[in-house]
Amino acid sequence: MSTSGDLWTAWRGRLRANWVALLLPLVAADTLGLFGGPFPVLLVIVTVALALLAPAESAKLAPFAAFGYAGYGLFLQHAVLMGESPQVTYGILKVGSADNAGWVLPQAAAFLVAGVWLLGLTGGPGGGAVRRAVAQLRGTDGQPKTVPALLLLPAIFLWEELFSEQLWFGWFAVGRVVALLLVIAAVAFVVALPRAAASLAVVGIGLLGLYGALVAGHRLLTSGVPIPTPVPPAPYTTWFYGAVPLNAGTSGLPAVVQGVALLGFAGLLVPRLVTWGADAELASRAQALAHRVDRLTQTRTGATEVAVAELRRIERDLHDGAQARLVAVGMSLRAAEQLMPTSPDAALALVAEARETSSRALADLRDLVRGIYPPVLADRGLADAVRALALDTPLEVTVEVDVPEEPPMPVAAAVYFGIAEAITNAVVHSGATTVLVHVAHAEDMLRAQVTDDGHGGADPSLGTGLAGVERRLAAFDGILAVSSPAGGPTIVVIEVPCVLSSAKTSSC
Amino acid sequence: MRVVIGEDLFLLRDGLVRLLEAHGFEIVAAVGTAPELLRALTELKPDVGIVDVRLPPSFTDDGLRVAIEARQACPGLPVLVLSQYVEQLYARELLADQAGGVGYLLKDRVFSDAAFVEAVRDVAAGGTVLDPEVVSRLMARRTRSGPLAALTPREREVLALMAEGRSNAAIAAKLFVTDKAVAKHTAAIFAKLDLAVSDDDNRRVLAVLAYLNS
Repeated sequence: MSTSGDLWTAWRGRLRANWVALLLPLVAADTLGLFGGPFPVLLVIVTVALALLAPAESAKLAPFAAFGYAGYGLFLQHAVLMGESPQVTYGILKVGSADNAGWVLPQAAAFLVAGVWLLGLTGGPGGGAVRRAVAQLRGTDGQPKTVPALLLLPAIFLWEELFSEQLWFGWFAVGRVVALLLVIAAVAFVVALPRAAASLAVVGIGLLGLYGALVAGHRLLTSGVPIPTPVPPAPYTTWFYGAVPLNAGTSGLPAVVQGVALLGFAGLLVPRLVTWGADAELASRAQALAHRVDRLTQTRTGATEVAVAELRRIERDLHDGAQARLVAVGMSLRAAEQLMPTSPDAALALVAEARETSSRALADLRDLVRGIYPPVLADRGLADAVRALALDTPLEVTVEVDVPEEPPMPVAAAVYFGIAEAITNAVVHSGATTVLVHVAHAEDMLRAQVTDDGHGGADPSLGTGLAGVERRLAAFDGILAVSSPAGGPTIVVIEVPCVLSSAKTSSC
Repeated sequence: MRVVIGEDLFLLRDGLVRLLEAHGFEIVAAVGTAPELLRALTELKPDVGIVDVRLPPSFTDDGLRVAIEARQACPGLPVLVLSQYVEQLYARELLADQAGGVGYLLKDRVFSDAAFVEAVRDVAAGGTVLDPEVVSRLMARRTRSGPLAALTPREREVLALMAEGRSNAAIAAKLFVTDKAVAKHTAAIFAKLDLAVSDDDNRRVLAVLAYLNS
């Protein structure tokens, strides 16, 4: 039972959890002065209703409203640059006022950054990338701490340029747009490639420091001589170096101090870069290990299943074959024993029957042994085992083996059974007359290829045989691939990483 | 007839010795390892050696290798190889020297001692005796090319029985035909396999070898 009080509490909780949604009506309200007519008012009403009724969805929309608002700022800035004085407010600014002209762009950039931050917060589309970048910045969530907060320093310099009257980028209108684009690019860069961004930030700080130390130092030494820079366009009168104005009359000392301080700072950060590099390497190694563990867990399960299925088959074969026949032998002999005194002829017949049955039990055991570990494979290794297999196949099978040294037994067995399965399929399904088996070892990879001249069209997903082989191979990181276009030929390829050397350090 | 036995399982070795002695063979040595067997075969030069494929020290195909090595040292030394399983590959290797006097049988064939003793005598006399299982697997092979493709089904049947070491008379009895008919078939087989006229035993060995190598 829920009361209206409960509903109210629940709704308040939802709203508090999705406070970002309130940005929507705020942004909408700010467009009131831009358009005439009832449209903005309607928009405000709709967004308020949306924020109140569907806070979670609205919160996901909010970052994009922030991006849109940043774009709106760019538009206003453009209008100002074109000599217009739009009489609207943009956030906390009255855009029409000449004093505020320099503040529109910073505010737009602030909304851009806020949008990125909110994106990570609300989990809207694109939020995952932002959260990963934040995790790297903080060194949380199993991620290495690869990017320092100091990365923001070049952004601060850009920022300062946005505040100042003049830019490094020439004519100020173009320069500001370039600066804003740089901020956007920097944010994207940090999100996408945090480690590269960190390195670049350190280099950037160093270069800024060098610039100040050299240019301002030169000016200090030749005191009073103007720095050979282009004359700032009217109404601007001053070039800035960071926070330091480079007026014709001022001393270059503060600029030198700032330059040297920046250089030192960059110097401090360089060793950190190495640490970040090591962190990154550790992280990538940890990730690779995690993948490996996943794969091993998977293939171990597969291998265990294959082994259990094998044991079940062997047990069944023994139970229905040799074991049953030996029981029959025992019974025949027992009956013969009883018949011996009374009717020796009948007893003799029973003994002959027992002998026959024991022969068949042996034949059963032979077949079973072939399926477990073929004798020729045990005696001679892979090459002769495949040759023996070819001799027992009712097709013309050509065998080419180019393996300098015998692979480890389990690998050889897995590859052997893979080849056997492929040949069996060729005999049973393909309508082939000849089969080519090629086994070679190159670049630490044992590769077997079985090609038949049949009609193709084999679907490896239909049979269980090849799937079993595949799982067995997977235990050695081996793979099996089948190519069987309609009309043939069918090619089965088996590849197992395998180092052939007396030092058994490999995974095979 | 002097016999050397190489078999590592005591029960089986003992059984073989008793079985052969009961049939009037003289067992000059019964050993259990490959090196001992090689020495016995090359030094004692028996009329026939009976060899288990799997022997110590490596328990792989040591016995087979000893048999081949002994035949290299003493060409034509008759050897009957016994095994728990038969492989065409091994049969080929045994017959490769074309000297005859080779047998290759499943161990269970010892169960019927009359046939087994006959096989031992055949091998000692220079004949070729292949286990019916090897032969049946040969038969399963589809031969689309080579000289064997030219044989008629009946001739293939005769060749298969020849490979099992049967004499013309035995083949005739088995196929319910006259000796003369079998002789005609064998002559046809020899002609089709392009085997020059020589003594009949040698041609039989070569025919079986051609059969194995098809």
